[in-house]
Amino acid sequence: MSGIWYYVFTLIFFLFDYFILAMGLNIQYGETGILNFAYIGFVAIGAYVTGALSLPNSAGTAQHYILGLGLPFPVNLLLGGLAACVFAVVVALMTLRRLRTDYLAMVLISLSLVLYDVCNNFVPLFNGADGLYNVPEPFAGALHLTTNSFIPFFAAVTGAIALIMWLVMSRITRSPIGRTFRAIRDDDVVAAALGKDVFRQQLKSMLIGSFYAGIGGGLIIQFSGSFNPTAWLPGETFVVFAVIIVGGVGNNIGLLVGSLLVETLLVHLPAFLPAIPGHPGLIEYFDAVVIGVLLMVMLWFRPQGAVPERVRRASSFGVRERLLGDSGAVSDDIAPSPQLAIESAAGPGDGGGQ
Amino acid sequence: MQLFWLSVGFGLVTASVLAISAVGLSLQFGITNYINFAYGDFMALGAFFSYVLNNEVLHLNIWFALVIGSFGMGVLAVLFNRLILSPFARRFNKTFYVLIVTFGLSLILLNLEYSIWGADVRFFKMPIDRVLHIGPLLLTKDQLIVMAIAIMLMLGVHAMLKTTRLGKSMRAMSDNTTLAMTSGIDTKRITTITWFLSGTLAGISGTVLGITEGNLTPASGELFLFVIFAAVIVGGVGSIYGAMAGAVLIGLATEISAAFINPAYKLDTAFVILILTLLIRPSGLFARPGRA
Repeated sequence: MSGIWYYVFTLIFFLFDYFILAMGLNIQYGETGILNFAYIGFVAIGAYVTGALSLPNSAGTAQHYILGLGLPFPVNLLLGGLAACVFAVVVALMTLRRLRTDYLAMVLISLSLVLYDVCNNFVPLFNGADGLYNVPEPFAGALHLTTNSFIPFFAAVTGAIALIMWLVMSRITRSPIGRTFRAIRDDDVVAAALGKDVFRQQLKSMLIGSFYAGIGGGLIIQFSGSFNPTAWLPGETFVVFAVIIVGGVGNNIGLLVGSLLVETLLVHLPAFLPAIPGHPGLIEYFDAVVIGVLLMVMLWFRPQGAVPERVRRASSFGVRERLLGDSGAVSDDIAPSPQLAIESAAGPGDGGGQ
Repeated sequence: MQLFWLSVGFGLVTASVLAISAVGLSLQFGITNYINFAYGDFMALGAFFSYVLNNEVLHLNIWFALVIGSFGMGVLAVLFNRLILSPFARRFNKTFYVLIVTFGLSLILLNLEYSIWGADVRFFKMPIDRVLHIGPLLLTKDQLIVMAIAIMLMLGVHAMLKTTRLGKSMRAMSDNTTLAMTSGIDTKRITTITWFLSGTLAGISGTVLGITEGNLTPASGELFLFVIFAAVIVGGVGSIYGAMAGAVLIGLATEISAAFINPAYKLDTAFVILILTLLIRPSGLFARPGRA
């Protein structure tokens, strides 16, 4: 198989994988309004646990890691997703109930850095800065796949998993729980007044999103066979945010479009460009600048994203319409003019004050 | 015991750097009410301005380079606010948007720094220093200058907030912007001055961080950011005096812990203290009413 196909299937893999990651962050941020700036940490936990579970016991190898059970493919991936969920419960119990938006974002980005620091320095956990490598390729033995035929095969597997996860996510966002999430996003005080346990619902949303993060991370380590701390610097969270904001917050199809535009075209396509002589890494740096600028331009000119969230006709009671109407009216009262909008953003009533 | 006093000395130096940066972050937060996630990159950028003046163009003495480089960062912070952050904050009612924008600004600045100066570790050009014995502490002359700068800046900020008209306006704005505006305070002017001060303090703290750590990379500000967050939250978000107290506490705790645990994890001590604070006293040591 020629190099171009290898490259195309790599791009297809990342398209589907980031679609999964974007769905996970979207249920947290886009549907529930939790600004999870530690998202890439959950992805990393999924990846490490998936990899460490499929590797044999570390005793005879040059690597140091925990677990090492040699589990077969779908089992380790599921457990990787569950590990991310367990971590989400711990994080949510410590932070969600106590903090409002921006404080939560501060604590979570700190958490992301600390997690990175620990995984990078504490070798017995997941092999420190070297990360895990030589992770077995799923089904490669049973189906007699070579390195070349594994790439398209696993891109197809990832596509199938993404399809299943998309169907599940569509069910979730259309169900009552999805409506509850969006009510919390639009106004958590109103949602609480209607009898919703805001913390409980946010915890559910964190769990679902973290499971998607863990699966997405697990697929990355299975695809590339290795995973180390340089793959999940805290800035990577921003790439996933860029995917959902460019594509369209609160719309699953939009996430696929965002994944195509940001992850495939902007992140991975330029990685295959020839390096500028004498300036190693300049393309990647410039690439990141372009993503940052694109995000700001997109937020300014098209904040609803490439594929906007559909206006959902919720139940026959029209609860959501009333909710939206109310919160819209409230913000209009606070901010009748652009000059005063900054005041309402700075006012004591902002953010619900948890 | 020798090791303990040595780490206390380091702790005071770290606390000085932290105090400058935490006050810069808190001043801006108090006025605009959103966190600037690009603050770490402001620090690194200010440090690189000093580096250029110190090493590449005028070959200034490091302390002069620090002053000019930091003012440069202050001017740049005003421009960032005018051109990017304040339009977004005015247009969107939810804090989400402007937080994402500062996060994006952080990504842009970090990668611009990488493309201009590369990933190599840089050093300031400074005369070789000798160690002085002060009581039980061992400190270099540069470390003492850094501590003196921090103390002077803290006294300066205190005097400005309590005695000048500007400081009074800033405190009024941070209590209630609308009320301040209706009382005739020029909120736009105060916001601009605050961003200038915040950027300048970021530049100073970034440069002194480079001096005390002995090296400088584009990522050094960003890695330090969560220690600043810890200091700010432990002190009580938005409270300037809380930020100072949090800085001393976190600075001493990280360095003294390094004497007992693996120094690779010393900054993580800050995070442990942060989590403990959240569990025990979520509003911080010096909580302001109506927030948290």
